[in-house]
Amino acid sequence: MRSMLLQRFVGMVAVLGICCALGLVGGVAVRAAEIKKRGEEKLSVEALEFFEGKVRPLLVKYCHECHAHDARKIRGGLLLDSRDGWAKGGDSGPAVVPGSLEKSLLIEAVRYKNRDMQMPPKRKLDAAEVAVFEKWVKMGAPDPRKGKAGGPKKRVIDIEKGRKFWSFMPLRVEKIDRLKDEGWAWSEIDRYILARLEAKGLRPASDTDRRTLIRRLYFDLIGLPPTPSDIEAFVKDESKDAYAKVVDRLLGSKDYGERWGRHWLDVARFAESSGGGRSLMFRNAWRYRDYVIDAYNKDKRFDDFIQEQIAGDLLESKTAEERNERMVATGYLALGPTNYEQQDKGLLRMEVVDEQIDTMGRTFLGMTLGCAKCHEHKFDPIPARDYYALAGIFRSTKVLTPGNVSGYVEKTLQVSGPRKAAYDQYKADERALAGLVNSLKKEIARLSKRKKAAIVKGKRHPRPLPVTGLVGVVVDESKAKRVGPWKHSTYSSNHIGRGYIHDQKMNKGGSKVVFTPALPREGMYEVRIAYNHGASRAARVPVEIRHAGGVKKIFVNQQAAPPIDGLMTSLGRYEFKVGMGHGVSVSNKGTNGFVIVDAVQFLEVKVKLGVNGVAKGTTKIQTATSDNALRKAQAADEVRRLLKLDGLKNDLRKLEAELKAMRRKAPTLGKAMTVDESPDAGDWHIHIRGQIRVLGPKVKRGFLTVATPGAPKAGADATIGKGESGRIQLAEWLVRRDHPLTSRVYVNRVWLHLLGKGIVPTPDNFGTMGRPPSHPKLLDYLATKFMDDGWSTKKLVRAIVMSRVYRLSTQAEESLKKGDPENDLFGRAERRRLEAEAIRDAILLISGKLDRKRGGLTIRKFTQYDNGYAFNTVRRSVYVPMFRNSLLELFDVFDVANPNLVVGKRVASTRPTQALYLMNSPFVMEQARAAAERLLKLKDLADDERLDRLYEMAVGRKPMTKERELTLKYLAQERETGEGGSDTRILQAWANVCQSVFASLDFRYLN
Amino acid sequence: MQQDNRHRNDLVRGMSRRRMLRQTACGFGGLALAGLLNEDQASAAKVSGLAPKAPHFAPKAKRVIFIFMQGGPSHVDSFDYKDELVKNDGKNIDFVGVRFGTFGKKSKRRLMKPLWRFKKYGQAGQTVSELFPHIAQHVDDICLLKGMHTNGVAHGPSTLFMHTGATALVRPSIGSWVTYGLGSENKNLPAFVTISPSATKGGPRNYSNAFLPTIYQGVPIGRAGLSAKLAKIAHISNPKMELSDQRRQFEFMQKINRVQLEAAQGDDRLDATIKSYELAFRMQMNAPGVLELSGEDEATKEMYGIGEKHSDDFGRQCLMARRLSEAGVRYVQINYGDESPNPRWDQHSNMPAHMNHARATDKPVAGLLTDLKRRGLLEDTLVWWGGEFGRTPFAQGKNGRDHNPRGFSIFLTGGGVKSGFSYGETDEIGHYAVEGKVHMHDLHATILHLMGLDHEKLTYRSAGRDFRLTDVYGEVVKEIMA
Repeated sequence: MRSMLLQRFVGMVAVLGICCALGLVGGVAVRAAEIKKRGEEKLSVEALEFFEGKVRPLLVKYCHECHAHDARKIRGGLLLDSRDGWAKGGDSGPAVVPGSLEKSLLIEAVRYKNRDMQMPPKRKLDAAEVAVFEKWVKMGAPDPRKGKAGGPKKRVIDIEKGRKFWSFMPLRVEKIDRLKDEGWAWSEIDRYILARLEAKGLRPASDTDRRTLIRRLYFDLIGLPPTPSDIEAFVKDESKDAYAKVVDRLLGSKDYGERWGRHWLDVARFAESSGGGRSLMFRNAWRYRDYVIDAYNKDKRFDDFIQEQIAGDLLESKTAEERNERMVATGYLALGPTNYEQQDKGLLRMEVVDEQIDTMGRTFLGMTLGCAKCHEHKFDPIPARDYYALAGIFRSTKVLTPGNVSGYVEKTLQVSGPRKAAYDQYKADERALAGLVNSLKKEIARLSKRKKAAIVKGKRHPRPLPVTGLVGVVVDESKAKRVGPWKHSTYSSNHIGRGYIHDQKMNKGGSKVVFTPALPREGMYEVRIAYNHGASRAARVPVEIRHAGGVKKIFVNQQAAPPIDGLMTSLGRYEFKVGMGHGVSVSNKGTNGFVIVDAVQFLEVKVKLGVNGVAKGTTKIQTATSDNALRKAQAADEVRRLLKLDGLKNDLRKLEAELKAMRRKAPTLGKAMTVDESPDAGDWHIHIRGQIRVLGPKVKRGFLTVATPGAPKAGADATIGKGESGRIQLAEWLVRRDHPLTSRVYVNRVWLHLLGKGIVPTPDNFGTMGRPPSHPKLLDYLATKFMDDGWSTKKLVRAIVMSRVYRLSTQAEESLKKGDPENDLFGRAERRRLEAEAIRDAILLISGKLDRKRGGLTIRKFTQYDNGYAFNTVRRSVYVPMFRNSLLELFDVFDVANPNLVVGKRVASTRPTQALYLMNSPFVMEQARAAAERLLKLKDLADDERLDRLYEMAVGRKPMTKERELTLKYLAQERETGEGGSDTRILQAWANVCQSVFASLDFRYLN
Repeated sequence: MQQDNRHRNDLVRGMSRRRMLRQTACGFGGLALAGLLNEDQASAAKVSGLAPKAPHFAPKAKRVIFIFMQGGPSHVDSFDYKDELVKNDGKNIDFVGVRFGTFGKKSKRRLMKPLWRFKKYGQAGQTVSELFPHIAQHVDDICLLKGMHTNGVAHGPSTLFMHTGATALVRPSIGSWVTYGLGSENKNLPAFVTISPSATKGGPRNYSNAFLPTIYQGVPIGRAGLSAKLAKIAHISNPKMELSDQRRQFEFMQKINRVQLEAAQGDDRLDATIKSYELAFRMQMNAPGVLELSGEDEATKEMYGIGEKHSDDFGRQCLMARRLSEAGVRYVQINYGDESPNPRWDQHSNMPAHMNHARATDKPVAGLLTDLKRRGLLEDTLVWWGGEFGRTPFAQGKNGRDHNPRGFSIFLTGGGVKSGFSYGETDEIGHYAVEGKVHMHDLHATILHLMGLDHEKLTYRSAGRDFRLTDVYGEVVKEIMA
């Protein structure tokens, strides 16, 4: 815990040499006596002897390496080589409180009980050594050593001085009065640029040609190349506002938001999964992406845009749409690379806060606030106090939900407008249907319970049925002729008459029972046999029916319940005639279980005769019982009930299917990933050295003092109501008109995206470790104009692309290259490598495969994890799912913004992996083939003309002579040597040409 | 038609002859020669930032092979024998929870003795359990660190910490730091590769460059779950085109590029882009060869356990690692891992399953050590074997063990560390590291030191702050230096 001791130090190396040097070998008593004699200390001899003999050697051996004034590095500000050293202590306060074991941090540390504070760090002292320290403290910590105390070395931050740094100074518009070449500038922006060039005696490069310009403009504004007809139209348009027309058309296109929204997603470290330990999917993060794209397309005021992202959930909204939009916007705070699996939830909570502060600081303020987490910011005028003033605000914001692996906050979005009526209707229908299903379920459950009870009851107590209770002619087993050792039984009460008999499972093949009924008349009879079933019974009991037509043999399975009233099973219908000999015999031949014999029933079947005397049908006989009223009623009731139950079950299945279908088609009630106010909102402590459990004083929530004009240097406190986090106040602070950073940081980002480098070359760092602006006046002019124009990004973009400086050539004369080798003065255009998205989208556009559908969830359904996700979309790159654990390969290879970090300026590396991707990846090869197919489909064109088309689509110009020659030669050669038939070879040759164009310098770079 | 075919055959034949010649010149038998031959390769490397750089001081090791045992192998069942644990088997001890739900709560835990018998090996008489009979043969070459401790309790945070020195913040991997500090030793291959990495538990962040320039990113070869037989660098070969066809296309493409470069009146970046294609094509020629194991003799393969059911896959990874190291890849990581929520060595409820993992890795690792040694590579190659943490001496459930970041063992061998040496101790039962404690930060500092890099000086400025692998921590463990 206590940080001073937490700071790891090495104390393991035995420093015997030092012990000798101290003269310990020479005799402790002598030395103590000397001290006493000199009167330096009024300590008892014993105390001194104890200190010198026992304590000092331990301190020297284990502690001095890090806690002595001559240590290579003093840890935690603590010195243990003098009395004052431990008495004053280090960052965590006194290390020893004489007499108190409990209050002495040194004792706590050497006891090794507190996991956060164990000293010496590499090895626990043995019990005897610990006892020495304990005794010493109890004695009152006698210590004759003099010397200076340590204590934390604090950097004192001078806020007033800090405010003099350029980025904290108020914005100031200063016009350029005079230029040598007044005619050159087309806009105010150009005046600032030219002034600095002229000051250095340099001339700007010439204007670029129209073809290059339109390609540049298209990629910059919409992220896609112009089509050959777009180029043609622009090149031929001789009107004065030809260029302005293209600019306005592109700014009005929905493609614009897809391009510029992506720039914002870079700094918002947007991703759709958490990455890290156990990567959680952010299923609704796409709404934030769409919100951003939409905000750019409708040119939402940037101050509103900021406020919605910081405190959208808290702003008052007039409509449901507005509320939803703002709720989604605040997702910005929740989208970070949180390690939800972190088990120390206190630490996790602070990790989230730290990430939010760091991200917000870089995104909006261009400040690395993270440095002030552990100590006063080493470079910028930001005290730790300010950091925890902000931390208080974010700590008062709820981002996590509890769990072993924590979760994130989601809120249901409201529905509105026509969708609301549809939704309400659905809700009512759904509720009604669900109610029906529920009541049906209850009824079925009730009936099933009763049925079960009935069965159980029936099983246990089926009443024996008197023979007289049955219809037809019934012959009881007692009236039958028996052969073999049959045994009478009443064990099962489910029987007819007085009981039944069984074969005792013996004399197999030798026992037999013969029933001979006295039938009232000749005719057709249904014959049934009664038995009680059970697992011990025989499965194949041979039964023979002797009837008018002969003898029929049937096997009865006595393990199965008899189907008729639980009593009997039918043996079929037979004709019986007088004098033919009739009856039923049951044998135990070939059986292996008990054979049960109870009774046989003969039921007369009345045959209906048709007109010609042919049998038409028979009456149905459903039950075995008849005038036994009770039995009859029971049976009928049972049947009805069972019938009803089956019917109900059928109904339920149908309704449930209906409900499921209804729910599937339900108007979606979206959820937004967002944040909430924390129930324990309030000010928070400074964490000493950033350690979450080492609390310093509480600080009032507030903002960066240095960036708050007029705030006292003690801190820019916010006025925050009870139970509030303070995010509203933070949002308001960020968009203050006199905020020195917000507008400057943003206009610099926009400039960077259009000119290839920022006026401040370090867009995420406007502090002392960043680089100062090359054109401070221009920066302030743009920032001021931006706010004057209602924080409109489109107006800002338009102003920049309409300037002359935007329209310069990348080619420059030697004098300019020499005079400004790094192009810090923007005297020429920067050659830029296309971003990953632009490369992919352009390839798909040329191959004809690009899907221009906008917005919506683009993660395939049922995706649980982001690792191993198979990307197979051909939609614009901004819609390709962005996961922290698996990026689309092309993105990874071509330096897409790392979604874990705030990326104001992307790197543009040159790596062999890019070459391998362009040469060998199935994606590039497939698109090249599709592009070739497209080209070959253009009938009546010569190869020459096809090549023109390809080059115009891909690089915005016709091929140069040499390119043309090389390509035609290659095509001819491949026609001869490639594989397959001539068509295949031609297609392959063209595919190879297209792929080579995708891999070419002029495609990869923007001039 | 016939003539066409003949023509093509000649081309192919011609190509394979050229290819053969090329491989003799640039193949890995003659790397040094290749280095001399290709001036422009060196300049391409300079442009890309991978040119060899001077270390801060004389290094003991030139390259690293890290054998990552994902999931946390149990130290008390493998290298850290505790008599008291055996004696007190079944007794309860007090424990204070460290996980969500049990955080700070006191409970009793049942001690569980090792499931395997231990034997003394080598001149040093180091005890090793039956889990690792083959590695045990190497104890006289090994430097065991038995007082390790680290940050995090769950796999994700601790795995990230082991790779990047941070549980939550996005930081570069140690392999990226090493490559950033020292550049590449070769010209046809990446400088930092990771074989069969897992996409979970930190996933790509475990070999990510984070804020370092992209060229220092680790290059994955294969992935966890994919057979090592199929492991290769992404897009290292063309799936559709014959090499001869591709070579014609490549030459055509580069001609076009040179025309465009000329028209642009020169530009270093454009030039570097053209060179990156050349390097890529060279990689395409060479890298598959390095990963191709068929040229190895049977005895060598047998030594790595290749061809045996349990150890075939990891044996291939280990042999690939040797070939990559030999070819001058600065930092090679071999991963024994998977994509499941409970990675390989994570036996919460079934410690006997440790045996399966030991069987899969013991012989391959031992084979790698033997092979490195007999080729003289062990002298300047640092091998690091270990997991993200160890396991508790007390039982979880019936016969499992939980994570233990508070004390565990790893071993180092090769370049610059003492051999037949054991450093550090855990307490009597193997729970907490108490003596010769080496924090993961210290291990990082030590590895950098062995590579000739001062962990306090190897910094990179990002967004206005100088970052280092060890943050503000880390002490070089001098005690284990040879």
